[in-house]
Amino acid sequence: MTMHAMSAIEPTSPPPGVLAIRADNWRLAIVAGLALSIFAALTLPASVSFWVVGVAAAMIAAAFVVNAYRRRYYGGLLVAPAIAVLFVMNIFPLLWSLGLSFFAYQSNQQSIRFVGLNNYIKVLTNEIAAPGNWSALVNTALFVVLTVSAQMMVGFLLAMLFAKQFPLRKYLLILVLTPMMLSVVASGVFFTYYYDPTFGILSYVMNAITGGQFILMDSKAGAVAGIVFADAWMWSPFVMLLVLAGLVSVPKYLYEAAAIDRVSAWRRFWSITFPYIRGLLMLALLFRTIEAFKLADLVILLTKGGNDTMTISYHLIRIANEQNKTSEGAAISYVMLFMVIVLTNLYLYLANRRNQES
Amino acid sequence: MSMSRKIKGAVTAAGVVASLVAVNPTFVRAEEVTLTMAVPDWPPTRIMKKFFDEQYKPKSGNTVKLDVDFIPWPDFYTRVNASLTSGEQKYNFIVSDSQWLGAFVEGGYFRQINDLLDADPDFMKTFMEIHPNPLNAYATYPHKSTNYYGFPQFPDVLVNFARKDVLCHEAEQASYMAKYNKKLPCTGEELDAMTWDDFNNVGEFFRRKKGEMLAGKPADDDFYGIAFQAGKSYDFSSMQINGFIWQMGGDVWDETKVPNGQAEGVVNSPEAVKALEKYLNLIDYMPPVAKTGTMDIFKSDELFREGKVAMNIDWIGLGEASLDPKSSKVSDKLVVGMMPGTMGADGKMVRWSNIGGQPFVLTTWTTPQQTAEAVEFVKWWLSADIQNQFAAGGGQSAIKSVYSDPKYVTYRPWNRAWAASLDWQKDVWHVPQFFELLTQQQDQFDLAITGKQDAKTTLDNIAKFQQSLLTEAGLIQ
Repeated sequence: MTMHAMSAIEPTSPPPGVLAIRADNWRLAIVAGLALSIFAALTLPASVSFWVVGVAAAMIAAAFVVNAYRRRYYGGLLVAPAIAVLFVMNIFPLLWSLGLSFFAYQSNQQSIRFVGLNNYIKVLTNEIAAPGNWSALVNTALFVVLTVSAQMMVGFLLAMLFAKQFPLRKYLLILVLTPMMLSVVASGVFFTYYYDPTFGILSYVMNAITGGQFILMDSKAGAVAGIVFADAWMWSPFVMLLVLAGLVSVPKYLYEAAAIDRVSAWRRFWSITFPYIRGLLMLALLFRTIEAFKLADLVILLTKGGNDTMTISYHLIRIANEQNKTSEGAAISYVMLFMVIVLTNLYLYLANRRNQES
Repeated sequence: MSMSRKIKGAVTAAGVVASLVAVNPTFVRAEEVTLTMAVPDWPPTRIMKKFFDEQYKPKSGNTVKLDVDFIPWPDFYTRVNASLTSGEQKYNFIVSDSQWLGAFVEGGYFRQINDLLDADPDFMKTFMEIHPNPLNAYATYPHKSTNYYGFPQFPDVLVNFARKDVLCHEAEQASYMAKYNKKLPCTGEELDAMTWDDFNNVGEFFRRKKGEMLAGKPADDDFYGIAFQAGKSYDFSSMQINGFIWQMGGDVWDETKVPNGQAEGVVNSPEAVKALEKYLNLIDYMPPVAKTGTMDIFKSDELFREGKVAMNIDWIGLGEASLDPKSSKVSDKLVVGMMPGTMGADGKMVRWSNIGGQPFVLTTWTTPQQTAEAVEFVKWWLSADIQNQFAAGGGQSAIKSVYSDPKYVTYRPWNRAWAASLDWQKDVWHVPQFFELLTQQQDQFDLAITGKQDAKTTLDNIAKFQQSLLTEAGLIQ
């Protein structure tokens, strides 16, 4: 008889009582873990209580694993490592930073004190801190609208083009996809020189045409245009790939039937093609909106936030990483997270409503 | 090998070891000590590492290894800050910008060195040979106190890099004389005598379109007279603007006047506004990139080396590339003078400027043994012989006996401007709020440089922010 068979319990057997001291009693583990954590947090120094809470969390996780093993919840056991990694790398930091946002804490100082919602009030209303945050948020919204619109339009048109067969299509497709594969830093450096008024080709060509001195990045409109163009250059191929996947999945016989019925090109697109790509377009819109909301890299490389192009992500980097205002940075992060969640759910709601209508 | 021969060999080896121990008591105590150092990746730190590897022999008999982490300049602060605040305690030595002292001393990361100086009269003597301005900037916290923290790694000042082929050209000289009734500055001494008004004239004078005559032949590209830092990132406008403000009788918030020194009324004084206006007016004569807010110290240096400007105010630390024909089109045309000044009411030149360069500091977790070796290393580094070698290799020295030596000015073209410039250096904000002060000021200066607001609004905004921040921090009452 194997150890497995010895320790296995029928999945349908009732769970142990809350107070039963058994390795698979996850209910008791939760109660004991919580009690231990609260006691440690209230009585021990932070450097010790941190590890006590960690041990309590590990104990609860172990109880779940033993329970799953004994009751043969093999599906649960198989995903447990992934859940553990997700918890350690994602959920725990998320909860930790949420906690930090209620304290006054700077990473280069040793003191910490509870301030409740003060950090949130400060980042949204303080006359010194708030204007920078709001201005960065407005700029971010501008970039979201402009970059996503540009990427959706260019990506969509490229997909329409590459859905057809033509000479050298395969090679052109690789070329078009290349920007997406480049590192952002490489692209940023490339565009820095591309836009440079002394060394850059853009000003060189424009000067030759206009006879004047063309400086793209000397105004907010020009700087925004430069960033939007660079971002669209990099990420339109991503939208194109998604839309292309939808276009190639449209059954050919539908187009053949439409041709027999002499359906107009617009009607053919609207009634046959669009329903097949609508879901993928929404997906592209969702992905690119979330990414655009986090735009910082290109801004850092092209303008350093100058010419009033500061985005909320870059602003956050400066607050949290450069000025070491950890708690204030955490509060801004959660305001951002809240906005992204609202935006995402709005998209999903609209997408679902359209699906239901159709 | 037979067993008896093995035993004989072992006995012989043991005898050799025993006799070495008896003859040289340090033999058994020699240990390997590693000093880990975070430095920006550029010639002054590369030279230091090279000298160490080639020449340094510790007096202790220990094997001392200098493990240097060369970090690119743009990432330097972020990497060092992350390392310190994360608590990894990786570095024993850190090359720090002088303004970081307050934040990292208060954070408990940088080690005070008064006890090390007091314990070693030779060390103290060498330390006190440092020019008072760099000593105050690189070593003291609070600023200008006698609490010492750092040693100069690479002291630096702003100087005027210029092209003698263009400036000394007969036709240009004659044309400039005809227009301004003054001689176009051409030699080092003439550059030293320049005021910002002269600098303005040079900027106005040398605005040549591609194809127009420049120094006797058609310009192969657009050409400009002047350049200096006017960038948004890090401190790439503040370090230049501070000099203008001090020279013209204004001031920045003065940390040595805590808690009575105010920001409002000082930072935005009429003198400061006038100084900023003067700075902004000069941007009109610079290469067009200056109007984008991205002309940092590296960009203006690149424009100078590419032969696009006649004069560039920049840090000496970037000068080596100008001398190298592989990276500079003007390597054989270089002449260097002091940064322009402002003529005072008494007819004497006022030359205040913001000091550059960096100290290196010890961290608080460095062990006593590492500290002892670090002190020996620093004494070696600051010794006259090594400082002379450093200066001859492209570095600078703030040690008086070194830079006063007549041969010092022969090392590099800019060394002639070094000693005189040291007397006019000031520094700012060795306070924990440094980065907040700097980023807000840089944001505001950028708005002025890119033409979005005037000098008065800019300085009013800066003064208001500083008054609020520093009052909240208890530094202004």
